[in-house]
Amino acid sequence: MAAVNTDEWRAVCDKFTNAQHLTDVESRNDPENDPFRSKYKARELLREIYCSLKSFEAGEGEEDSGAESADQRPTEQPVDGQKLDGFGQGFSGDSPAGLRAAKLGAVEYYLGVNHVDTEELSAGQEHLTNCMKLLERCRVSSENVSLFLHVRNQLGILWAGRDEMEQAQGYLETAESIYQHYMKEDGSPPTDMTEYFTTEENLLTHQERTKRFELAYTHTMYYLAQVYKNIGQTERAATYCQSTLQRQLQLNQFSPMEWALNAATLSQYYITKGKYMEGRHCLSAATVISGLAGEVPSEAAAQESETECERREQLRQKRAEIARCWIKYCLNLLQDAKKLLEDNIGELDTDRQEELTRQRRRDEEEEEKGRKSALLFGSEDTFDSIATVEERVLCLFPLDFTEARSVFLVGQNYVTQAKEYYQMDGYVTDHIEILQDHSALFRALAFFEEDMERRCKMHKRRVDMLEPICNDLNSQYYLLIRRQLMFELAETYSDMMDLKLTLANRQADTQSLDNHTIKKFNHLCSASAKYFQMFLDSLRSPEGKFPEHLEDDVLRPALVARFRVGRLQSRLISSSLSVQMENLSKSLEDYKYVVDYCETHPAAAHAVETELELSKEMVDLLPLKINRLKAKMAANN
Amino acid sequence: LSLSRSGDSESIKVFVRVRPLTQGTGLTTDGDQSLCLTVTSSNTIRLLSKPEPRTFTYDHVADMDTSQDSVFSIVAKNIVESCMNGYNGTIFAYGQTGSGKTFTMLGPSELDNFTDELRGVIPRSFEYLFFLINRESSKSKSFLCKCSFIEIYNEQIYDLLDTASASLFLRENIKKGMFVEGAVEKFVNSAAEAYQVLSMGWRNRRVASTSMNRESSRSHAVFTMTLESKESVNDVVNIRTSQLNLVDLAGSERQKDTHTEGSRLKEASSINRSLMCLGQVIMALVDVSNGKNRHICYRDSKLTFLLRDSLGGNAKTYIIANVHPGSKCFGESLSTLQFAQRAKLIKNKAIINEDTQGNVR
Repeated sequence: MAAVNTDEWRAVCDKFTNAQHLTDVESRNDPENDPFRSKYKARELLREIYCSLKSFEAGEGEEDSGAESADQRPTEQPVDGQKLDGFGQGFSGDSPAGLRAAKLGAVEYYLGVNHVDTEELSAGQEHLTNCMKLLERCRVSSENVSLFLHVRNQLGILWAGRDEMEQAQGYLETAESIYQHYMKEDGSPPTDMTEYFTTEENLLTHQERTKRFELAYTHTMYYLAQVYKNIGQTERAATYCQSTLQRQLQLNQFSPMEWALNAATLSQYYITKGKYMEGRHCLSAATVISGLAGEVPSEAAAQESETECERREQLRQKRAEIARCWIKYCLNLLQDAKKLLEDNIGELDTDRQEELTRQRRRDEEEEEKGRKSALLFGSEDTFDSIATVEERVLCLFPLDFTEARSVFLVGQNYVTQAKEYYQMDGYVTDHIEILQDHSALFRALAFFEEDMERRCKMHKRRVDMLEPICNDLNSQYYLLIRRQLMFELAETYSDMMDLKLTLANRQADTQSLDNHTIKKFNHLCSASAKYFQMFLDSLRSPEGKFPEHLEDDVLRPALVARFRVGRLQSRLISSSLSVQMENLSKSLEDYKYVVDYCETHPAAAHAVETELELSKEMVDLLPLKINRLKAKMAANN
Repeated sequence: LSLSRSGDSESIKVFVRVRPLTQGTGLTTDGDQSLCLTVTSSNTIRLLSKPEPRTFTYDHVADMDTSQDSVFSIVAKNIVESCMNGYNGTIFAYGQTGSGKTFTMLGPSELDNFTDELRGVIPRSFEYLFFLINRESSKSKSFLCKCSFIEIYNEQIYDLLDTASASLFLRENIKKGMFVEGAVEKFVNSAAEAYQVLSMGWRNRRVASTSMNRESSRSHAVFTMTLESKESVNDVVNIRTSQLNLVDLAGSERQKDTHTEGSRLKEASSINRSLMCLGQVIMALVDVSNGKNRHICYRDSKLTFLLRDSLGGNAKTYIIANVHPGSKCFGESLSTLQFAQRAKLIKNKAIINEDTQGNVR
């Protein structure tokens, strides 16, 4: 090897620095129509370096080249699996032969990355493979461990790009174990690959070395997360996402808002798995870390400068996104608790409630244990703040109204926050989604409310927030959302109607209801039917024709809507026999539609089993009822 | 697709077109005489993959000899007609750079002559639209037509009709739906005028050359025609609006940031230390199937957001997938064919919150 301080060597170092600069800095300014100009230039420099290294070798290393050929192994394709022979025999990393191999390997590595960057994958693979071959002859040491890691990261990316996940997984898992093995056995700050080509006065500090090495390993974690995702191991992938985030935090290598959004998104993974403790932890961390991004610039400041304006927009939007993740947390917690507590007619099962309350004590202990064993986020500075945010909301299922209400209020608070950014004007879809969540929060809370009058009022709140929007939305652009709103409104009116009737029945029997109650009941009943009907009408063609064949996505909703309209028709209260008659006939038509449809489309039957069974009964029963009415009317005349 | 309003199950259709082999165009695929795919019927194509050849089925497959006119008749005619009736319509062109997207959509690149036999789907759509407008216009019915042309590059929106403007924002309005705020809209009265607007904007697109491709586009271009019809029947004025979107997607080999890339890993080196893409990974883990209600912090790309109505909503959509038959293009052709097949599965779910429990008593 050329002496470290000769002019020749200096020239090599300069070339390397130049190549790095071209790759990392210049290339960003390459013109649109020649996007790889700097990378192509860098490639030339790297090739020259390679030649120089080779010629140094030929000039001095007689005895080494002999050793080299003696050490030549059969060159099987180096597919990494579990083998870790880097720790076995081979040149020691700091021997002249080991150093030369590492230097040549590093140039091959940079050439490989360069080719991959310029979309010449096969050439890139060849260089990276050459690098692996050179390293095969060396033991892992602090001089070359970084290169060991980097080249495997790159090969992992390359093979994943070709959809060869097992290959990629092999390289990356080897990288992971090399890191762990190295940290256990040695752990001293390893040489960074760039240092192979620097003059002595420019060597890195220990701190900088550690930082770069840890970052490379963070990337290994990150690539593994993606590989596991791609091969369908979601739980493992989530764990690796979690470790990537935790490493970023510990090593202080993150941008707060992005980190926070990632953590908030991860919380949604845990929520869908029913892991509320983990979900809450992610969200609390997201809230705390997003705070590190600083204050939102004021409107005045935003008007003054464009960068402030963009920052304001970014911060507000991302905080609103985190708020929306919190809303989902509260909503799912309430809904899951409801599922746990409801009996077969959807009311609160008090026996179950008592049983679960007794179980709670055990759960609390479990929570403590779980918290200790779970992977947690936080650095020394943030840990306490995260715990404080966590304390604001339950992570165990709420079991009574008071607890449910406290979860609801947290959720509602985030609804307000999210709506501040996602206003109707400009963000129609997002705004409505938030309102739908708000409505769903009320619905879940209403389940826990024992006072029917107050429960009814909660449903009224839902109607008030959704009804005007449903009527204003352009149905050409927002057809799908409108359909959701129609259905929800129909159901809400139905719920209110049932509550009113239950309340009235407590005071009197159906026959002797007072006029005011009847009016109220009929109003709710018709309103519900109206929205179901609106939903059905939305399925019509522009010419007004109802489809003969219902598509899968709307099959069940359409048949259920028709069935419900039928039921609502028959429940309308009237003292006039002819009105009663009319309502029952309409109702019969609706039930018949459901029965007939399922007869002509047998596949539809399983989608609406209960409704179909009841419709069949009604189709048998209603004609009798209608005939009785007819007879009564005839007698009256 | 199932949610089109008329209930006909066809909101997204896929048309695959195979281009002839290239000769002397300077493309690296020149002189590549071995084929990797054959058209086996008017809706199937066979890819000569190893060990087993694979057959793909689409709504229509056109071989090398297919004329521009027949592409138009199959793909666009119906969509233009629906636009006249108040439906929104979208035509996408998708495929590897050099696979014939621009030829299919526009025609030969130096085209100014409007009567050229080789003119593409877009000029033909203009002609047909104005033919229909002229036929239908009467005292009681009138039409108003305006165009906008935007480009999505690096997730930023630019106005191709006003290159001086800064990047624009997407906004939504309760009445107007999704729109690009501040995009220039030009009124047009004839096919020629529309074509003029198009070619003016086209020249402003961002293209790049690499050692692999002579010329490749890194941006998506969306040309939107808004058609408003006014009809007075017995003193009642009926106004209907519809949109025709003509979309030229970036070369498929460049779409590293969209769902089309399949399994390619996101690299950290290029995104520096921020690892924003980690979110995309987590996003993919969040399970939708178990019916839990969740929020994802990361929006889809601007393009899918803008064209949400076209992707499985309330519109008629055709995707033209262009493929190059040369065996050198095997990989790209495979991914294009796979994308096209996935596109057929796109469904916009209207999850209706119906929950009859407790109500059927």
